[in-house]
Amino acid sequence: MTLLERDDEAPSSWKGTLPITSRYTYGLAGERFFRALKDEGKILASYCPKCDHTYVPAVTFCERCFSELTEWHDAGLVGKLHTYTLMFVDFEGQPLEEPELVGFISFGDGGLIHKIDANPDELEIGLPMQAVLKPQNERNGSILDILYFQPVRK
Amino acid sequence: MTSRIKNFPGTSLSEQDFAEGKALFVHDTLKAEYSWDTGIAIGTYLASLKRGVILGAHCRHCRKTVVPPRTVCEWCFRPMSEYIPLQDTGTVNTFSLCYVTWDVHRIKEPEIPAVITLDGASQLGPASLFMGGIMHKLGEVDPEQVHIGMRVKAVWKPAKEREGAITDILYFKPLPKEEA
Repeated sequence: MTLLERDDEAPSSWKGTLPITSRYTYGLAGERFFRALKDEGKILASYCPKCDHTYVPAVTFCERCFSELTEWHDAGLVGKLHTYTLMFVDFEGQPLEEPELVGFISFGDGGLIHKIDANPDELEIGLPMQAVLKPQNERNGSILDILYFQPVRK
Repeated sequence: MTSRIKNFPGTSLSEQDFAEGKALFVHDTLKAEYSWDTGIAIGTYLASLKRGVILGAHCRHCRKTVVPPRTVCEWCFRPMSEYIPLQDTGTVNTFSLCYVTWDVHRIKEPEIPAVITLDGASQLGPASLFMGGIMHKLGEVDPEQVHIGMRVKAVWKPAKEREGAITDILYFKPLPKEEA
């Protein structure tokens, strides 16, 4: 066997995994935002009077003029459907048995990306969408405390 | 430098703050899989380990034998001349007694990683920094007795459990005095 031939029994590749775990804390604004979602079931906004801009999720300072934002308020649980998509593959790229809806729900001048529970045919841009939360005792201060958004039923 | 800073900006958090729920957080596990092409020389090295042989490569021009094998000589840049099976005995070149694991857990019995120059590979010489050695673990040994220059021998996995990995050698253990 020469040095330039590959051994027939040689593994073509070496496979492995890297153990990577992380713990992410939300920061000052995020802590307050998720604390309100967990304890009070509220989606909080912060407002910049100088720029007349409402941030959702709430932030501590204005990205436009850098002033500290002290006006926080409840943005309500109903936003407007800004855009949405129907996904046919999962995170790994594998086909999904049932396609899933994901959309951007606008609140103030911002909004949240989340799952949507609806028939795709009934959706249209601008449709009022209601956040459906987990029961209070099951909420743990994560964006998944919102289960999904659904069209406001009248 | 930092000793002059009296109050650091930001919010200090301790493990206890998380346990008591003072700060919200999300825990995440990233999926980090990799597949590394073993190449010609290392592929052959791994296949040989499965057969119970530690393989080196020899450069006829430089008269050096390296382990693990490479296809090109690091000194003269010519292709290596041939693969050479080495002995599974060697000499401890350097070692460490580790009382913490790789993920920082304290352990009572130390792990003993060591670089072992294998018999049949080039040795460290006055005119060369080269040393034909591999890194592995020592076992069946009193940590107090480990020393540089100690003669050791590979302890292999049973043949049918070998999978073509450096872990096909479980560890190196001291050679008895009469064989050393």
